[in-house]
Amino acid sequence: MIEARGISKRYGDLVAVHDVSFSVAQGEVVGFLGPNGAGKTTTMRILTGFLPPTDGTAVIAGHDMFDDPLAARRCVGYLPESPPLYPEMDVAGFLAFVARLKDVPRKRVREAVERALERCGLTDVRRRVIGQLSKGYRQRVGIAQAIVHSPPVLILDEPTVGLDPTQIREIRSLVADLVAPKAGEVQHAVILSTHILPEVEAICPRVLLIHRGRKVLDARLSDLTGGGRSLEQVFAQETSRDVSDDAPAAAAFA
Amino acid sequence: MRHVGTIARRELASLFVSPVAYVVLTLFSVLAGFFFLSSVLSFSEAVSRLQQMIGFDPRFAEQLARANLNDDVIFPFLGAMSIVLLFLVPGITMGLFASETANGTDELLLTSPLTIWEIVLGKFLAAAGFLLLLVGLVALFPGILFVYGDPEVQKTLAGLLGLLLVGLTYVAIGCFASSVTSSQVIAFVLSFVMLLLLWMLSFLADLGAAGGPVGQSGLSSFLRWLSSSEHFEQLVKGLVDTSDLAYFGALIGTFLLLTKAAVESVRWR
Repeated sequence: MIEARGISKRYGDLVAVHDVSFSVAQGEVVGFLGPNGAGKTTTMRILTGFLPPTDGTAVIAGHDMFDDPLAARRCVGYLPESPPLYPEMDVAGFLAFVARLKDVPRKRVREAVERALERCGLTDVRRRVIGQLSKGYRQRVGIAQAIVHSPPVLILDEPTVGLDPTQIREIRSLVADLVAPKAGEVQHAVILSTHILPEVEAICPRVLLIHRGRKVLDARLSDLTGGGRSLEQVFAQETSRDVSDDAPAAAAFA
Repeated sequence: MRHVGTIARRELASLFVSPVAYVVLTLFSVLAGFFFLSSVLSFSEAVSRLQQMIGFDPRFAEQLARANLNDDVIFPFLGAMSIVLLFLVPGITMGLFASETANGTDELLLTSPLTIWEIVLGKFLAAAGFLLLLVGLVALFPGILFVYGDPEVQKTLAGLLGLLLVGLTYVAIGCFASSVTSSQVIAFVLSFVMLLLLWMLSFLADLGAAGGPVGQSGLSSFLRWLSSSEHFEQLVKGLVDTSDLAYFGALIGTFLLLTKAAVESVRWR
């Protein structure tokens, strides 16, 4: 479903992402880990077509993001690091707007909005203005706009960042619920970026770790923690290793 | 192109939930009323003075015969309104693109299956729709003149068309200013300065024609040709000429192209 083929992103001399390749199959949930500034957001922006890579390409559900961008983008639901919301719109109106942008057929917009509201626990606030919602609810609206068109690919950039512990738990269980296989729902291929390790252990069977723009680990969670090591130990070990042999790292790009 | 309507509708709805639309509409109505009243009053004063003067010198009858509602009321009124638009259009357009960047919603638009043209045209059309409302308000005032007098219909319509075209040009320039910054204040100032310069190019040309360094040269006439006020006045005088229409069309097209390039530039920065 998601295929990154040798993606690199350079800003002048800075290398934000260097030759990253991986693929994610339908129904697979991948935790995308890395310290702040490792290149997670840049990689995700390339996968969603927001940024072009300097080298390599991304293929989403069989569509090349740069040869056939519209078809590829139609297959992606994306929650950026700060949820893209219009504070003056009400929740249901905003979701209907997003559904139309994402080419949901006109007749099915209302149905798609209802489903997204329900799946994200937003039914009670559907008529509320987004600017007046709490941060946790705004994050839910952000997730709802990512799934409103039932995309086969879901890319979530730090969905729990900046929330209080209760909200974190709620959003985490919402995400776990969204990615769990269910009858009658689209099976998403999911990439979830975070640097909160318990989140990964709770939700993601597979882990991708990037450090200084390079992929340093791609493994099943069960294999990693099999030998009695905790994910935290693996993380510390992998990110302390010096991987920047020739290219200077781009710590500035989160 | 089917997303153009989606973008435009959202943009218009946003304008009307924010105070901007109401502030602009209120100020615009007040100013329109003021300038209309002052044009009408100065016209009626001029007419009654001429009528008194006829007694002393019959040559004033000629002047009185030349006085008419189109040239002496509608012309100065529309001229004043085009200057009011100079101030208010940047207020409408400042948020079009700047607020998307500030909200982070540009990331939503640019990762959705729509082209940049659809975004730019949608936003331009939303602001154009609002402008149409303003021009409609302006049209009410000459409408009053038709009840009490008999201005020429075609000439009046040509003048309103001129106001609409000059306004659309301002909107296109405002779109561009809004697309190069994430600050609405900067977008406002930038578009206001650009509009003012465009308007004032003809003054510069006049200075040149009055014997300055540019003189009656090609530069002077080029500056005059470039100035929006020159082309606007042609239309308000009732002269609908393709060259003036082409001027506004070219300017709108150019600035929409620039806007598209500016929106696209996040991709290659």
